[in-house]
Amino acid sequence: MTTPDGTSSADLPSVRLGEASQRDRRWTLASLFSWVVALIFFAPIAWIAMSAFKTTGQILSVPPLFIFQPTLENFTEMFQDPKIPKFFFNSVLLSVGSVLIAIAVSFLAAYSFSRFKPPGTDFLMFLLLSTRFVPAAAFVIPFFQLFGILNFRNTYVGLIIFYVMFSVPFSVWILKGFIDGVSQRFDETGLVNGASRAHVIFRVVLPQVKPGLVAAFVFNIIFVWNEFLFNFQLGGTDTNSIPVALFTALYQGGAVNWTYVSALGTAYVLPLAVLIYFFQKYLLVGMTFGTVRGEV
Amino acid sequence: MSDVEIIGLSKDFGSFVAVESVSTIFREGTVTVLLGPSGCGKTTLMRMIVGLEKPTAGQVLIGGEDVTRVATSKRRMGMVFQYPVVYRGTSVARNLELPLIADKVSKGERKKRIDEVAEILGITDLLQVNVDKLDNAGRQKVAVAREVARKPEVLLFDEPITNVDLTSKLELKRALKSVFQELRQTIIYVTHDQTEAMSLADDIALMNDGKIVQLAPPHVLYHEPADVFAGWFLGNPGMNFLRDSFVIEQGVLTSPFLSAPVRVFGDAGRAVVLGIRPEHIGASVEPNSNSVEVAVTSRSISIGGQALLELELDGHGFKAVVDHGSGKKMTDRAWITLPPSKIFLFDSDGRAIVATLSGA
Repeated sequence: MTTPDGTSSADLPSVRLGEASQRDRRWTLASLFSWVVALIFFAPIAWIAMSAFKTTGQILSVPPLFIFQPTLENFTEMFQDPKIPKFFFNSVLLSVGSVLIAIAVSFLAAYSFSRFKPPGTDFLMFLLLSTRFVPAAAFVIPFFQLFGILNFRNTYVGLIIFYVMFSVPFSVWILKGFIDGVSQRFDETGLVNGASRAHVIFRVVLPQVKPGLVAAFVFNIIFVWNEFLFNFQLGGTDTNSIPVALFTALYQGGAVNWTYVSALGTAYVLPLAVLIYFFQKYLLVGMTFGTVRGEV
Repeated sequence: MSDVEIIGLSKDFGSFVAVESVSTIFREGTVTVLLGPSGCGKTTLMRMIVGLEKPTAGQVLIGGEDVTRVATSKRRMGMVFQYPVVYRGTSVARNLELPLIADKVSKGERKKRIDEVAEILGITDLLQVNVDKLDNAGRQKVAVAREVARKPEVLLFDEPITNVDLTSKLELKRALKSVFQELRQTIIYVTHDQTEAMSLADDIALMNDGKIVQLAPPHVLYHEPADVFAGWFLGNPGMNFLRDSFVIEQGVLTSPFLSAPVRVFGDAGRAVVLGIRPEHIGASVEPNSNSVEVAVTSRSISIGGQALLELELDGHGFKAVVDHGSGKKMTDRAWITLPPSKIFLFDSDGRAIVATLSGA
């Protein structure tokens, strides 16, 4: 049997097979490429994580050592530093505390923007993000002076207020997107059925935007957990977080304390890595501002 | 159960007047359908009745009590929206039960009401099913059942079957009809679909440009339209209007559309427009003693195998509906008859004139 163009039909499957295998090969190359890129991105973290289990000599050896006898000494040594628990406490308190407050505030603000549409809503939403237009460093001096006047320097209250302000704009944006995605008919049905506005907000709308709340929470925890500049400027020994501790450790005793920095760096990355790993899918929906939901 | 009275109710959105000083009574135990084209203010009117929209002026009274300033949640109404609102992730029964728990209805009574309403709507088998598994029609039934089970004084429906696919539409309409018949309650129902209005309504309140044009039972609305809009909006296609196509002198109407003059009883002096429904025009292939010859300009098949003809006489274009068989034979000429009793007369403002026409 032959096809009109003269080739025998027996050839056809193998031709298609050839095409398929070529597609497979391209696919393999593409994924290989992305793996390489991902590993390059991951390299600094891997370096820090490996260093945490090395001695100073091993850390600084050239070429870098990939096979070595791991030691836990860096960690035991690090935790002997009496300030370490304080740094961790501060990091957790400042990030979790401020983000929880910010999300509560943002959720209510986003609800109002979404439902009551006060005059100038669009402009207000734009204004909210305006603090992110300018590099944070530009705000350092006014904040330093303001915090001096208010006696907020090196206080939890002061820093939490600052981080709440830092977290609200983005959270409002994410949450408004999600709340817009919940039909207003839910609110109206609730009201007609005799529910109060509070009931509608917390019992009808809130359960439907949980992914948005989680996304806003995780995003802002990442921001605040990693925030260095303002904690360094506005904080002090009572309120400094781990990023500041890492920075100061670099200059402890005239030389970089590599084992301390790598052990602390590893311990610092871990909680966030776990959080992000478990909430990956929420980060994705968060980045789409809740718009990918196909509902009226 | 209560009637709903509105007095001088208005709503402006900036310079746009959505509802213009509407006063009417929606009678107790009656299904009133607010019918009109989109943008005529019917949904706004309903939202003011339930309190979701604040009136610019006017009052809303339920059972004689002024509720204009009463919060929506205190008006003891139920409402079903175009978008089917269900509480996701829970069973149908739970969806029906939640508002009853909030209303502090006893457990025995809750079960009784849920079973009752599920029976009427034919969702008894679905009570334990998760609402997420239902399609839009199913969800809308749940939304209807939930409102009915609360036994509100007044039930409102805002285009409840618009979001449902065609096959489920009929089923949902039937379910609503049986609910309405069972309840005999004050119901206000918004739609832009005249067949839906015709099949569900006791009364139709026809709306246009923010006003109620006519409030009457469906057959009255069809047979006695109050103005040209009512004549045009009801019927598919709407009524033909022939302006300056006749002369009335001493109680006798003469027109090129009529083979012989007809007598007019009533105050027809102001009449300038003659109205006739396409389905009332008799058309035939052959002339007969009282027919008039017209030109056929186009022909199309409409619903039910009927032919819709576009005709012309004396520069007036108009439509007629005939059966498919005879329609097929009318290629460029046809002979029409206008039964005098089916002719309507309107004045220059488009208001209907009360007059009777009869053959000489």
